[in-house]
Amino acid sequence: MFPLVTITLFLPLGGALLLLIWRSATPRAAHAVGVLASALTLVGAAGMWLRGAGAGFSQVEQLPWIPSLGVAYRVGVDGISLPLVGLTALLFAASLVFSIRMTERARSYVSLFLLLETACLGVFLSLDLVLFYVFWEVTLVAMYFIIAGWGHADRQRAALMFFIYTLLGSLPLLLAILALYLGSEPHTFDVRALVATPPLTGVAASLAFLGLLVAFAVKMPLFPLHTWLPDAHTEAPTAGSVVLAGVLLKLGTYGLVRLALQMTPDAYHRAAPVVAGFAVFSALYGAFAALGQSDLKRLVAYTSVNHMGYVALGVTAAAAARGAERALALDGAVLQMVSHGIVTGSLFLLVGALEDRAHTREMGAFSGLLRATPAMGWLFVLAAFASLGLPGLAHFPAEFQIFLGTFGVWPAAAAISVAGIAVTAGLYLRAIQRVFFGKLPDRWKLLPDLDARELWAIVPLSALTVAVGVAPAWVLDVIHRAAEAIGR
Amino acid sequence: MMSGARMVHDLTLLSPELLALFTAAIALACEMLRRPRLALAITVLGLLLAAGLTGPLLLGKDTSVFMGTFRVDALGIWAKLVLLPTTALVAVLAYPEVRGTDREGTVYSLLAFTTLGALVLAAAGDVMFLVLGVLLSSLGSFALVAYPRDVRATEAAMKYFVFGSVSSAVMIFGLTYWFGATGSTLLSSLRVLGDVPLAAVAGLIAVLVGLGYKAAVVPFHFWAPDAYDGAPLAIAAYLSIVPKVGAIFALAQVARNLPAEAVNWRLLLAVLAVASMTYGNLAALVQTNLVRLMAYSSIAQVGYFLLGVVAVGASPLAVQSLVVFAAAYAAMNLGAFAVVARFGRDLEGWAGLGRSAPWTGLAMVIFLLSLVGVPPLGGFFGKLLLFGAAIDSGYAWLAVVAILNSVLSLGVYLRMIVPMYRQPKAAPAAARPLVFVGSVALAFTVAIGIGLQLVVSGLQ
Repeated sequence: MFPLVTITLFLPLGGALLLLIWRSATPRAAHAVGVLASALTLVGAAGMWLRGAGAGFSQVEQLPWIPSLGVAYRVGVDGISLPLVGLTALLFAASLVFSIRMTERARSYVSLFLLLETACLGVFLSLDLVLFYVFWEVTLVAMYFIIAGWGHADRQRAALMFFIYTLLGSLPLLLAILALYLGSEPHTFDVRALVATPPLTGVAASLAFLGLLVAFAVKMPLFPLHTWLPDAHTEAPTAGSVVLAGVLLKLGTYGLVRLALQMTPDAYHRAAPVVAGFAVFSALYGAFAALGQSDLKRLVAYTSVNHMGYVALGVTAAAAARGAERALALDGAVLQMVSHGIVTGSLFLLVGALEDRAHTREMGAFSGLLRATPAMGWLFVLAAFASLGLPGLAHFPAEFQIFLGTFGVWPAAAAISVAGIAVTAGLYLRAIQRVFFGKLPDRWKLLPDLDARELWAIVPLSALTVAVGVAPAWVLDVIHRAAEAIGR
Repeated sequence: MMSGARMVHDLTLLSPELLALFTAAIALACEMLRRPRLALAITVLGLLLAAGLTGPLLLGKDTSVFMGTFRVDALGIWAKLVLLPTTALVAVLAYPEVRGTDREGTVYSLLAFTTLGALVLAAAGDVMFLVLGVLLSSLGSFALVAYPRDVRATEAAMKYFVFGSVSSAVMIFGLTYWFGATGSTLLSSLRVLGDVPLAAVAGLIAVLVGLGYKAAVVPFHFWAPDAYDGAPLAIAAYLSIVPKVGAIFALAQVARNLPAEAVNWRLLLAVLAVASMTYGNLAALVQTNLVRLMAYSSIAQVGYFLLGVVAVGASPLAVQSLVVFAAAYAAMNLGAFAVVARFGRDLEGWAGLGRSAPWTGLAMVIFLLSLVGVPPLGGFFGKLLLFGAAIDSGYAWLAVVAILNSVLSLGVYLRMIVPMYRQPKAAPAAARPLVFVGSVALAFTVAIGIGLQLVVSGLQ
């Protein structure tokens, strides 16, 4: 069979290596390689989407690697990972299109993004835990260099904090992976085997689950392990923020489903009420913290904490529930990952476009921009409405299912976290009102609207926001088949 | 007595060691004839050939020669496969540093001799071989450290020598307890020590002093930063790898036979491991001289190594982890030293070098991330197996401490990475041998993970 998965996975890396060797590449040529490689990857991801995914793992490709240790190169997809692969390919293409005007060390910039793309795809596609961990750590290294190399004023500190925080988080993951390996009989790192028969029981399972939870809670991030996020986001370059929020946070929630929920289900079930408490608090905390921000980028960053809290709540409800509610909550959680990627990606791009023009992100500095920059304004309004959960836009079907699924298990938790939506609605409406409505001051009269490059990056995301919101079935069907299988 | 046929059989199995010895002697003869470059060429070729002769041994079963005193097993064989090529690369690395000095050829000859000591240690099946290995590798090392004959080098060698002779004396003294209790010098006879715990403890402490000194394990590490800093850079790289791996493997040979009911040596080694990792990383955090930083880093790395020894006999991963980590460690540490040889010892001088010399900078980032244990680099696979071995033998807490130390070590190595990407300035030119050694080390650091099956398949 044609190894589409492997080719899609390593296409970006190929682009990165090409740029590493091609030392005389001009910034234009470097960006051309970047856009081309990420576009081809998007085509590959589309091909994988057309092939589809059933209830279990499909499109599996494997090669022996270290048979003595039960390690192999195994990649494949199921209904949980396939939408995330599509999301990753899309957001990287959008980010690279958006950054084509970046001339400062463009060759290194594009190669790091392409390396990061392969690493992110690899995390979603790996069906072997050693491979999973390899890709997981490479995302960290690539992102560190992106923030440290092309970030804003305080980038060194933010990058260092990001690196140390997430490395500290990923090492418990390594321990948990080793525990899963040593608990399996015969010893293997094969995800399919570990999912089919969760290897650990009792205290060992609980400890492994704890390691997984810490690792993924840092990445998501979940309160109280979220403190790296606002700084990393505000200091990262725009495209870096898009990828960080749109894709890297999903690595944490994906891991929560794939490893914690599927490989230590009983331990997760026992700990579910506590985790749900953290998730609800995290969602509310993110909403209220976002309410307190005047910097637009920080505001969007904090709403990520809020939305990821809902994802964690959905997965946790699935761990606690039995039967139909389980699949419902899990459907919602996975769809929420996709929606958040699209919506927050476009929000960060829009804030980045605004900052490129105005050289500030302070809400108070703006007023009435809708008159000067209508395209930017309306696209922002659309994304903001989607982010606050308006029916008909991407977040609504996801959050609706999460709350419905949670309600069956913990009615109070569902009720409290719905309150978070009211807060996000308030803060987004306030932001729209301040920045885009009101009187347009003279200093912003000549602010140019979005150019073709920015529209090419943002409009596809906006279109998807509507498409997922109006007719979520085309994504949900894929997710549901896998979620139902996990539900049993 | 041994029969003639047996003797020939044993000597065949020892051919790599004999070739290394022969190489050292020929290199010395070349120096006497004032042909230092020929000495270098013979050293490199002889050591590589010895490594080549080791290859076929992998196919045979574990055995021993000279009535069990010298082992031909996975540890002994892999020590040869790793340390002989490493020594050849060190000789190449030393060439630009010692070229044109008096007695240049003796450096190459001493390198081969000293490596022989490390190989004897790694394959020891008898306490006499432990003593022989420690002495053989120490004597050569003293001379190598003192080679530049300036004040710093002399002071460094003096400290190293005093520390070394006291440690060796303690070791020999303590080993007499084992001999007294077992009536034999064979390690395999240690199993009777279960009945005489006091003698077991006394001997164990002695072995830990002697081998701990060789491997620079806390609290026997005090000589290391001074000796590394006073010695030529290539010799510092050498000391941080070859004797260290030899001593750790020797410790594993002892651990295979030492009964755990006589003395809880696993716990003792675990405590030493924690002390080494933690102290090494904390001390490295405040160094500005990069050779001293690498010295403390190698003290920390030996702590991870000890995880594998702790698991010997309790987990099938133990020997695999020691071998894989040794190979990865040799590659990444040698590579890091090769970059220090180009960029200089002073951290302040490193600002911007990563931008003006991008390939060297990238290589250094890879070596350092591998030392942290970031996948898919060699150091990660070594640590993965070490942690796995520790958890498998019931020392999960030790793996947790080791992991926290890995995070701490990130702070150490980022102190070298971050300044490299400041505003660029002109980088010093690279000597060709440095580039060569760096490239080989880089290739191994990156590729060990891909070819891991080759290493672990024979070690089940």
